[in-house]
Formats: sequence, C-alpha cells, structure tokens
Amino acid sequence: MKRYDLIVVGAGPSGLSAAIAAAGKGLKTVVFDENERPGGQLFKQIHKFFGSKEHKAKIRGFVIGQELLEEADQAGVEVVLNATVIGLYQDKEIVVRTGETVHHYKANAIIIATGASENMVTFDGWTLPGVIGAGAAQTMMNLHGVRPGKRVLMLGSGNVGLVVSFQLLQCGCEVAALVDAAPKIGGYGVHAAKVARTGVPFYLSHTIVKAEGTDHVTGVTIAEVDAHFQFIPGTEKHFDVDTICVAVGLSPMSQLLKMAGCQMEDNPKKGGQVPVCDEHGATSVPGIFVAGDVSGIEEASSAMIEGRMAGIRASEYLGYMQQEEEKSSLDQLDHALDGLRQGMFAPANRGRNITETEEGIPISENLLTHGFVAEDEIERFPGVTRSIGVHPVMECTQNIPCNPCQDACARHCIRIGEKITSLPAVNPENTCIGCGLCVASCSGQAIFLVNEQSEEGYATVTLPYEFLPLPEKGEKGVALGRDGQEVCSAQVVEVRTSPTFDKTNLLTMKVPAAFAMKARFYRKKAQ
Amino acid sequence: MINDRNREIGTFVPAADDDMIVCRCEEITKGEIRRAVHEGMYTITEIRRYLRCGMGLCQGQTCARLVKGIVARELKISPAQLEPASSRAPMRPTEMHILANEEKEGKRDE
Repeated sequence: MKRYDLIVVGAGPSGLSAAIAAAGKGLKTVVFDENERPGGQLFKQIHKFFGSKEHKAKIRGFVIGQELLEEADQAGVEVVLNATVIGLYQDKEIVVRTGETVHHYKANAIIIATGASENMVTFDGWTLPGVIGAGAAQTMMNLHGVRPGKRVLMLGSGNVGLVVSFQLLQCGCEVAALVDAAPKIGGYGVHAAKVARTGVPFYLSHTIVKAEGTDHVTGVTIAEVDAHFQFIPGTEKHFDVDTICVAVGLSPMSQLLKMAGCQMEDNPKKGGQVPVCDEHGATSVPGIFVAGDVSGIEEASSAMIEGRMAGIRASEYLGYMQQEEEKSSLDQLDHALDGLRQGMFAPANRGRNITETEEGIPISENLLTHGFVAEDEIERFPGVTRSIGVHPVMECTQNIPCNPCQDACARHCIRIGEKITSLPAVNPENTCIGCGLCVASCSGQAIFLVNEQSEEGYATVTLPYEFLPLPEKGEKGVALGRDGQEVCSAQVVEVRTSPTFDKTNLLTMKVPAAFAMKARFYRKKAQ
Repeated sequence: MINDRNREIGTFVPAADDDMIVCRCEEITKGEIRRAVHEGMYTITEIRRYLRCGMGLCQGQTCARLVKGIVARELKISPAQLEPASSRAPMRPTEMHILANEEKEGKRDE
C-alpha cells in the first residue's frame, strides 16, 4: 500500500490550493480527482473574477486554473486524474478506483475538497431530454465546445444562473427568459444587468409549470407564484424553447466525510449536509480537514483561500510547521477571506432584506426585480456623474468586495477607498484620458466611457463587448437601453482590442446626445 | 420525536403530481414516496430500502434532496430534521468485477 503524508480528494480550486500549501511545506502530497481534467469548475469559468489583487480579481477563472496547476506542478504535487475515491476508512485509508482496478492508499492527513453537486427541481416534464443543469450547460459550452441548444430558458437568478445565461448568449444561444420563484434576483446586480441589457426578460416570482414535448423539450410554460410559492391561475406564459437550464443551487458532496465518521450537521445556510468544522477546516476527526464547497457553498475565490488554510493546518498537524508560523499564515488568510465575505452578499447577510447601500443610498429596486437599474434610479449612485469631455460612468450599485477599477485607472479618476465593498466614485479632480482600462478591468462589465458631447448633437458611449463576431468600425445599428430595448440608432466609431483588455473588447458607438446616459449596448441591425 | 410511529401524520391524500418521477434511476414517483411514509417508512434509510430510490446509478446525487423534502413535508417536519442516508463504500457506482480486482503488491505502477 502506497503511503503519503497528505491525500487530497478533489483537484478543484480548494483541493489544488490545499495541496500547493502543504507540498510547499515539504509534505508528500497526492491529489485524486475522478474527472479526466483537473481544476474542478475553474476551467468552465470564462468570466473575470471579482475581488482584489490578492483574490486574483479580473483574471478569468480558467486562467486561474492554469496558474494553480503550474503552481502544483512546481510544488511537487502529484495529481492523479480519472481516479475515483470510493471509500474513506479508519486510520485514513482510502480506496481509489482507476480504470479496472481498485487501489489502497494511506496518509497521515486527509483533506476532503470534493465540492458540490447541482440541485434539481421537479416540474411536469422535468425528465425530458433538454432539461439540464446550468453546470452541464457550462461543461458543454466551455469544455467541449458544444452549444447546449438554440433557445434556452434559465431557471434561477443566483450568480450561476446569471453567469451561465451570459455565457449562453456568448456561445450563440438565444435566452428566452430568466425565471426565479423568489421575488428578488439572488446574484450580483452587475451580472443581471449585463444579461438584461442584451434584451433578456426577467420573470421574478415565477417558476416552471411544465416542460412541453414528447421525447424532448419543445417549449415551457411558466406562471407567477404567490408568497407561498403557489401558482396564480391565469398568469401562465409560454415560450418556445429547446432547452431548459436549471440553476437552483448546489449541495455539498460530503458523503466521504460522513463515512469517515466526522460529525455532520444539516446547515441550510451552507447548502445542506456539511461536516462540523472550525474556521480553518479541521473536522471532528483529528487529521481530516475540509476546504471549499464541501464545507459550505461559496465562491471559487473563497475556496482557494480555504484550501490554503486546510493545507497549512495539515502541515502543522504533521509537524512540518511550527505553531507560530502556522498562526501568522492563517492570520493572513483569515484577513483575505474576511475581505471576500463582506458586503451585501456576505454569508452573514444571507436572507436579509437590504434596502440601502453602505453609503446610505437606497438600493435600486428595479435591479432586483427586472435586472437593470431604472433611469430614474441610476444617477443617485456615486459612479454615475455628468461632466464635459470623456469620463467613466460606473453603474456599480451594490456593495460587493471588488476593486480592480480603482487600480486600473492610472489617472486616479476612480475612487473606492480602503473599504473594498464601497461603491466606486468619480474623482472630479482628475481628468479621464479615455484609455478604457477601467472598462476592461470591471468583472461586472459595469463601466462605460461617456462623452456627452463628442460633436454637435452627438455623444459617444464606450462599452465592454464580449461577443463575436466583433462589429466593424463604421457599422450602423441600434443602441439598446439598460432594459435591452432599442433606444436610438447608433454607429460604431471604434472597436478596441488589446492584450491588456484580456478579451473584453471596447466598442465605442456614436448616439444622439440625448441618449448619452441611456444607450448601454449595441446591436447590429438585422439584415 | 420523528421516529415515533404513533405520531399522527394524517392519511394519504392523493395529489395531482403523484405520477411525477422523482428518482429517475429507479423510476420512483412522488406518489410512491408519499404513500411509503403513510405505510410507516419514516426515515430515509427505510424509504431507500422499501422503494430503492436513491440506490440506482447516480446514487441519489439528483434525488436525495428531493426525496428528503417530500418525506419531510409528509411528516410535517423540516428536512433538516431528517437523518440523511448512510454513507457507504463504494461512494460511486462500481462494478463488482472492479471492486474485486484489487491491485496486487509489485504491480503498483501499471
């Protein structure tokens, strides 16, 4: 039987981070993962991450995955793929299936980082081919290059539902509607806004009545629900779709921990069955640690920090690290994790009805119910100002832990300040030179460059554009408002791409001056 | 007490969606699960043994949470109060011939 100091189960963001931290301290470390590729969900995440520099903000998820793999390789971590851990037994012995054989391994410490699985909901016709999880849609699109369908209805307005809806649009699907039984959008407002401005309608307090079709999905009926989630008769709406995507949350895959005898709890705030553990991932069984979604559903950014914590705890547990060193490392990570767990979407705020920003500004109700900030709401936020010449307009209206825009502007036109969750504000003393770095740096695609009077009667609006094919300079089309409806005609005057923009293209369109603060998306005129 | 079989949970009332499949692998319907509760199966372990739901190819990855919700509603308790099914090896569906094909000493690095 092969022995290791540390066995990590799961090669996702938390498992790899844990292995890197431990191997860096000299532990002989192996990571088993049942998938054919490492990285967990990271390689499906083609969007830029939120946070600050220490959280790898504005880097796309799959690039973070590549970085982690390189780091693991340099640290001497052994990563074994297509290796399914089928049992965790007494004295930290595991059984792994690879190919047609089973193997036994033993370690002095174990870190379980098995992640989570997607939840399902049942409705009439939910077993029809064409009803898929949002994660499955991501796998098809971003790993295998397969378009999941032509016309899709998304159920679930959490970040997964919002991000995947945008990715579906990017890969050429039509998103017929975004539906959620809850009365308010669950994910980040900026994620909702970038979907809404392309014209996708949001139906909150609605859910699926039935999926139609005999051997595959051909349509779907949704209806409004009351406060008790009962259908309101007469509110049915029908959509012709071939795919229904379900993004209704995740459940921790914690079975191995239960099997190992760890004390478990059913914690709805953490997504279901999770091990009882301390803030650094130590379970009730000495030497068994956890990190990432398996210990409570959160983001990949926090999973990476939790992974490092567990790796350090395991190193100290096995005597590869002094207690003082452990403490200072953990303090640093605590600080980083704390930074991510701030703001309106912080775990502590789950289920709370927040009506004002930290700055005391009333939250946009329209954003929470329709996916975009209404025209009469937008100008109350500090990032949205009017001035002469080109200037940034930051439609960032919720306190989320993210600040790359502040660093992106070399002219210091954008101010967030010490508190990472503060809304970005325009610094009127400094002059914008229109470089567009802030536009490309915003993971929420919420920054625009506006010149309210670029020439007599006309304004220019520069917007982040991540769709192919890229519009061409001189092309004429229509400008869409925040709600995705046509507001005026528009002409493309510039399309900028640059390696520093990291595939967020900057499209500048000319619109009549009256629409400078209304036009937020461009669409080519239908032929 | 959840497992008190004398506890009054009312009689089985048929519902419009009783025909809906909940466990796809073993093709168990919502009605079968609800009826099983009224036949005295108050725990997830009993339900699994009685109906085999969650014991198919996906090992309850999709339906475990749904079944829990249905049973809890029938018992008029919160799903969090229901003990989940036991976790046993093999954690993922594994054919018997593979389970029996243990790596032998000396053949370690194939």
